[in-house]
Amino acid sequence: MKIILKYILTNVKERKARTFVMLLSILLSAMLLFVSFSIGVSYESAQRKMARGMAGSATVSVQSVEGGIYADDIPALPDIQTKAGIVEGTSLYHENGYYETVDLLAADMEALNQINKPRLIGDGEVTAFSGNQIILPDRFTSKYGIEKGDTVTLQINGTPVDFEVAEIAAYDTVFLRHTRGATALLPLETIKEVLGWEDGYSEFLIEPAPNSTTGNLISELKNALDNGRYRVSEVVNEAQIAADARQKSMPFFLISFFSLTMSIFIIYSSYKVITLDRLPIIGTFRSIGATEKTVTRILLLESLFYGCTGGVIGIPVGVIVLKGILQGMGKSLSQGIEIPVVISVPGVILSFAVAVIVSLCSAWLPVRRASRLPIKDIVLGRVEEKHIPRPLIVGIGIVLFIVSALLPHFASGTMLYLAGGFSLLGLIAATILVIPVFTNIASAGLERFYGAVAGNEGRIAARNMKDNKNVTQNITLLFISISAIIAIRVVGNFVTTYISDVFHGAELQGFADGHMKPEFVEQVKEMDGAEKVLPLYVFKNNVQGNSEPVSRLEGTDNLEWYNSMFALHYTDSSMSEQAALAFASGERAVIINEDCMKRGGFSIGDTITLSNGTSGNFYVVAGSFKSRATDAEAIIPSMYAVSDFGASDYGLLAYTAADPDAIMVQIRALFGETSNWSRTVEEFNNDALATVGAFLQPMHSMTCFILLLAAVGVINNLLINYIQKRRTIAMYKSIGLSNRQNRKMTLIEGFSSGLIGAVIAIVVSYMEIQTIFLVAGPKISMTPELDIWTFLVAGTLGIIVTLLGSIVPIFKSRKMKPVEEIKFE
Amino acid sequence: MNILTEEAAIEGKNIIKDFQLGDTKTRVLKNISLKVIQGEFVSIMGQSGSGKSTLLYILGGLDVPTSGSVFMNGMDISKLDDEKMSRIRRQNIGFVFQFYNLIPNLNVAENIMLPLLLDGKKMRDYKKPLKDILEVVGLSDKQGHTPRELSGGQQQRVAIARALIGNPEILFADEPTGNLDSHTGAEIMSLLQRINKERGQTIIMVTHSPEAAKSSNRVITVSDGLLQ
Repeated sequence: MKIILKYILTNVKERKARTFVMLLSILLSAMLLFVSFSIGVSYESAQRKMARGMAGSATVSVQSVEGGIYADDIPALPDIQTKAGIVEGTSLYHENGYYETVDLLAADMEALNQINKPRLIGDGEVTAFSGNQIILPDRFTSKYGIEKGDTVTLQINGTPVDFEVAEIAAYDTVFLRHTRGATALLPLETIKEVLGWEDGYSEFLIEPAPNSTTGNLISELKNALDNGRYRVSEVVNEAQIAADARQKSMPFFLISFFSLTMSIFIIYSSYKVITLDRLPIIGTFRSIGATEKTVTRILLLESLFYGCTGGVIGIPVGVIVLKGILQGMGKSLSQGIEIPVVISVPGVILSFAVAVIVSLCSAWLPVRRASRLPIKDIVLGRVEEKHIPRPLIVGIGIVLFIVSALLPHFASGTMLYLAGGFSLLGLIAATILVIPVFTNIASAGLERFYGAVAGNEGRIAARNMKDNKNVTQNITLLFISISAIIAIRVVGNFVTTYISDVFHGAELQGFADGHMKPEFVEQVKEMDGAEKVLPLYVFKNNVQGNSEPVSRLEGTDNLEWYNSMFALHYTDSSMSEQAALAFASGERAVIINEDCMKRGGFSIGDTITLSNGTSGNFYVVAGSFKSRATDAEAIIPSMYAVSDFGASDYGLLAYTAADPDAIMVQIRALFGETSNWSRTVEEFNNDALATVGAFLQPMHSMTCFILLLAAVGVINNLLINYIQKRRTIAMYKSIGLSNRQNRKMTLIEGFSSGLIGAVIAIVVSYMEIQTIFLVAGPKISMTPELDIWTFLVAGTLGIIVTLLGSIVPIFKSRKMKPVEEIKFE
Repeated sequence: MNILTEEAAIEGKNIIKDFQLGDTKTRVLKNISLKVIQGEFVSIMGQSGSGKSTLLYILGGLDVPTSGSVFMNGMDISKLDDEKMSRIRRQNIGFVFQFYNLIPNLNVAENIMLPLLLDGKKMRDYKKPLKDILEVVGLSDKQGHTPRELSGGQQQRVAIARALIGNPEILFADEPTGNLDSHTGAEIMSLLQRINKERGQTIIMVTHSPEAAKSSNRVITVSDGLLQ
């Protein structure tokens, strides 16, 4: 055993460059996988932190069904660690016609400090907090240029109240929120006074004792409290948080998928060369009595070494990278919130296991093949690779490619995910099978082209690519790398857009949410520069379709504008015209969003009753849609919103204008002191980006690691290529190939490999993206925009990497002594 | 027709070759001088490690001496830069190796034409010489085949054709029958002999085989880095 270990370590030491590349690829894969897992968990943790906001370590909320709740109402259970009574209210901050909701919060400071202590800027303590004092988050104060000691005026129940800014706190703890607006902390007595609250507290937040669970505490409280008088609930919806985190970590798993695919290929191709190199040693082992099994084990032990070392180093490196990424992410959020680095044990175990398994499995195939070779052939150096008929391989490749491309189109439900996974793997596998034939066809075309532009060296370089396994191996790795970068980039950009830009594709440039009389709308239409102005009647939670509640019903007199303003995606493209005709004909027609259709069991053409409890009318379902720009579940002609549901004021107005900001200023002026929520789309997106955009920044950092892995793989391949080509180069040199000619041929070959790899990658990544969005399609209401530059830049990068990778072989072959390479077989 | 003139095809003067192996410097060739006349067929023999192949590669410009000179057409080729030496290898020298050294993914015709292609010549302009050389080596029906579709003897014939396509002044052969069975080896030697006689081709060959050496006009023996 000692001798075998010594042999393995000597191998590792002797092949420094190859060992380094193999280790680096496994290390990067383990690291990427670990970061992908952990970032999902960290996201989840940060989301939980944001969703909990004011609750901090409290996980249970108790409210009274009617009125307030007193401290004595909460039973003294041993499972309660801390209970903090809070009073909440709402106010409006108004500056330059811009309204922002400021939620007011007050609590027993002692209890609050235990469950969620506010972090003041300058690390001070909240002391002598009384009277009309207020603590505001720095995110809010910096936005409006407010300093400590300044006076701010808030509209509370329509009355302006002045507060002195006592402290400025970090956008964290009670101030952290996952919705727009800000939270302000007031003294308990003050909030009661300004809100006119006389009834104890509005809510109790309870932290379970260390040995208790949230579930236990909830059931104990439910048992102890009168169900009719009190509502006991969990502070945050854990399932929703997990689902949100999953959505955001999707691109990271895509990164892991591609990095693993690349690693498998890098290790597999390295091992193919290693086993070829080791054939004489394998022959020696076998000739002195080692069995097939022993030889396989010896070689696999070496790959186990790579797997374990890569995993052991990769995971700590992953921790450092994760910390860096999360720190950067916190900083890029406008005021910097702390996002915890969560290192999950399953993540560590899985990443390590994958590093070892990938390393072992990738090595197993070539090792097994080598150890099964007849001893005589190995010793006599007569080993030739098995020739598999090409038509068979190409046939399998083409069939697999077609099946992979089509399968997701025919699957639905859970099967769609399986079909999507199969399709992604299938497209890659099928392409690998077809690449040799594609390369041969391309080399035939390039032979003529290079013959004309680069002379005989170009012709020979192109000709050399035909039936050349090294070249196809290079192209394969390059294709996997480039397509990975393209897919990750496109999906990543899509997720950023999807999460941070809900109005993506919608035409509206601004909206006003508030009560608006018809005259108000007329005045907006008259504003200089206003283009399309679309007023809507809005009914929230007071309409039912048959017996199904409709959370939001809107009435419009211009469905065509509505379609474009809110980017409605009809289930079937013909529905757009059908719905427009139905609305124009004057009949009672309704279009319903897909979720509501499903919930209510409606079908197109059905006649349903829309009622508000007092009256009901029959409406024909003229279409179904999905849209991210509107929450409306049903849309009807405005004339029926008036006649059937008694609408008088508009509830929402969307507009387009030459200068949306100028219109917004005038709209805010029109509202005056009336409560409203009016934003240009740009303002809205900036707000959204400030909170969620930063979460996706790390993905771009991760793309760099994928690029690094791709570069490592390509350089590894070019080195392998050089090792295998040394003899061929020596042969060429022996018949008169000069260094200059060799340089020219190597560069042409590198460029051509890059070009072919890039073309294949662009086509395949386009298909992969189609698959990814086909699988994600049912859950999203938008289609990805494919930027041609993403494809071209990734392709060009691939070509540059191959050209750069050609430099080492060029220099190595300059120093080559042909005699040493060709004298022996 | 064997045309022998007194003019030297190649001349090596005071060739010394040292090899560095770790800290040890080994002198493989110890001041060797020799002259090969145009049209001559010379065999270099010697035991393993005697330095015969090293001498051949130095004469053929694939290796450089530690000191000494190699003259071809009055020019010291051991001092030439890569570009000039490569041109000489394409135009003035042909090499045949023990292990054929053909490019596996090029066919017979392409392998044979390689030196001319590297010299910037057009394949279409050399159809006749290609046909002729294929006839000489007896492979007229194999020009579209790849090396792996040929026997060892046939591959060596392709290597000989490749070495001769540019009408080189000298053909160097390093154990051309070393990897062949005795019958095929004899065929190859007979081919080389025929080429030497009929085309007046100067040939310098390294061989272990006294049988093969019989085909040549002169046998030089290298022993312990010196000519015997």
